Amino acid sequence: MKTEFSPRAKVAIYGLLCVLAIPFVFPTWWMVTSSVKPIDQIFAFPPDLIPRSYDFSTYAQVFKLQPFAQQYWNSAYIAAIVTIGTMIVSSMAGYAFARIKFPGANLIFMVVLLGLLIPSEVTIVPLFQMFLKWGMINTHWPLILVPIFGAPSVFATFVMRQFFISLPGELEEAARVDGLGRFKIFWTIALPLARPALAAVAIFTFLHSWNLYLEPIVFLTSPERFTLPQALTQYVDVYQGPMWNIQLAAATLTAIPVLIVFIFAQRQFIEGLAHTGLKG
Amino acid sequence: MAPVTLRNIKKSYGNAHVIHGVDLDIAEGEFVVLVGPSGCGKSTLLRMIAGLEPITSGELEIGDRVVNDLEPKDRDIAMVFQNYALYPHMTVEKNMGFSLEHRGASKAEIAERVNWAADILGLKPLLQRRPGQLSGGQRQRVAMGRAIVRNPQVFLFDEPLSNLDAKLRVQMRTELKELHARLKTTTVYVTHDQIEAMTMADRIVVMRDGIVEQVGAPLDLYDRPVNTFVASFIGSPSMNFLKGTATNDSGVALEGGAHLPLPASLDASGEVTYGIRPEHLALAGEGEGFEIDVTAVEPTGSETFVQGTLGGQKIAALLRERVAVQLGQKLRLKLDARNAHLFDPASGERIG
Repeated sequence: MKTEFSPRAKVAIYGLLCVLAIPFVFPTWWMVTSSVKPIDQIFAFPPDLIPRSYDFSTYAQVFKLQPFAQQYWNSAYIAAIVTIGTMIVSSMAGYAFARIKFPGANLIFMVVLLGLLIPSEVTIVPLFQMFLKWGMINTHWPLILVPIFGAPSVFATFVMRQFFISLPGELEEAARVDGLGRFKIFWTIALPLARPALAAVAIFTFLHSWNLYLEPIVFLTSPERFTLPQALTQYVDVYQGPMWNIQLAAATLTAIPVLIVFIFAQRQFIEGLAHTGLKG
Repeated sequence: MAPVTLRNIKKSYGNAHVIHGVDLDIAEGEFVVLVGPSGCGKSTLLRMIAGLEPITSGELEIGDRVVNDLEPKDRDIAMVFQNYALYPHMTVEKNMGFSLEHRGASKAEIAERVNWAADILGLKPLLQRRPGQLSGGQRQRVAMGRAIVRNPQVFLFDEPLSNLDAKLRVQMRTELKELHARLKTTTVYVTHDQIEAMTMADRIVVMRDGIVEQVGAPLDLYDRPVNTFVASFIGSPSMNFLKGTATNDSGVALEGGAHLPLPASLDASGEVTYGIRPEHLALAGEGEGFEIDVTAVEPTGSETFVQGTLGGQKIAALLRERVAVQLGQKLRLKLDARNAHLFDPASGERIG
């Protein structure tokens, strides 16, 4: 039931929400405004919420000091492949664990889940040695393969499995009577209905890959292969001190796809939920 | 349409035996209702006919083919599920045409069949909607549309009306009956509602604990139940069962001292269970029938449902009249001996 609030209560609620939003909005605001401030203005006290002067040359500097466009592309295509790969692997694995009865299914699933308990810092050295043996150091393969077959995919598989478990069995039975085989049931019935879960998987997988920091600094050595989180740390002066305004300009550019993915996937999320009218 | 034959069909899950050898011949075009309490195996039996549950042993024929090992899609059946099982992400039109599409029918053929089914079921204005935008009754109709669109040999219904409210259920019952009269497709229908069974079936199969208790036309089951289980399951309100001893003067002496008449055709002696339906009891004048102690009175306007005790045994009467009787008072009732049933008190089987 929808609760109706009085106008006064509404004002109070919105006011409270605005106050609560400050800790979340302020860092983004500070990042965007500081990216166009001259360096001395960033540390001015009292701080300037609105820049007194604008210096957009920081954005040009971002591209001049490093192959930033290349690094941007690196992050984008790696995140895209990881996201699509994880969606494929986790949806199929999640479906199998949820809907196909096979001996040891629960045991295997528990073993898979154990992958979530091992911190990535623990496995990074053996992984480094493995990829070194395979000749994949300073390539993007480790950044693609580790998430698709590692902890993020395990978590995604868990999410998908939980969704498919809740899917009414009658839908699959109806599809069997309608003449569909197992894969077609998965592809034409189960997967389209899993859009909300897939959207959630896509959001966190993309963000995880986009923000990946430890693996790139371990596996990548040349700047043209760097991904964005790693590249951001390279905007330093001769004394290794951060060039704050340039770094924040690069950070602003880095945050844009994250916002776009979130806004796009959020819509998918709501759409998906609206169509899950499974109840009779 | 095709006949369906079940020969000694059994189903076990490990050591748990749920269907104990069912034999049943369903004629071409017949409407057969499987009825029984929860857990009696009726849905399992239907799902075995559909191919959704493997058959442990026995033989199932649809038409002239043994279909035990065939996939559901190869059995030429269509099924309507309890929760309709409509694909939520597809429109009504797509839901109805989905099976044809996957069987390689041409677009023109699909459109023609879907339109034909939509016409029959009054679904034309709803074709572009999704299941989430439909009412319960409309969804039920779409589920039926999806079943009839393919023109299968057999329709299988698994408690299709149980999610509808009482009024809509009555309406859909009539529609289903009309649909069957029009299409004449062999139908196997599962329900736990004996009113549905009585009103729709050509024949009813009463099941209990995985065995068939009785098969027959609805009124045969009502008039001549083979045991106390069928007698109590068919008919609403349930039949009264009174313990007593058959006497030589064509009557039954009840434990509390009352004496009930028996038809001359019934020759019994010793301990018996005397069965009489509540609607076969009527108000009696002084000096006739027997007296009960009233424990509850439920007037519904058209009739009065009276509950009470007769010699310490529970008895209920459904009277056509409005009865001004209070709790704790006595009420005199009579019955026509031709409506009485006698059962063996030990086995519950019918006598005579």
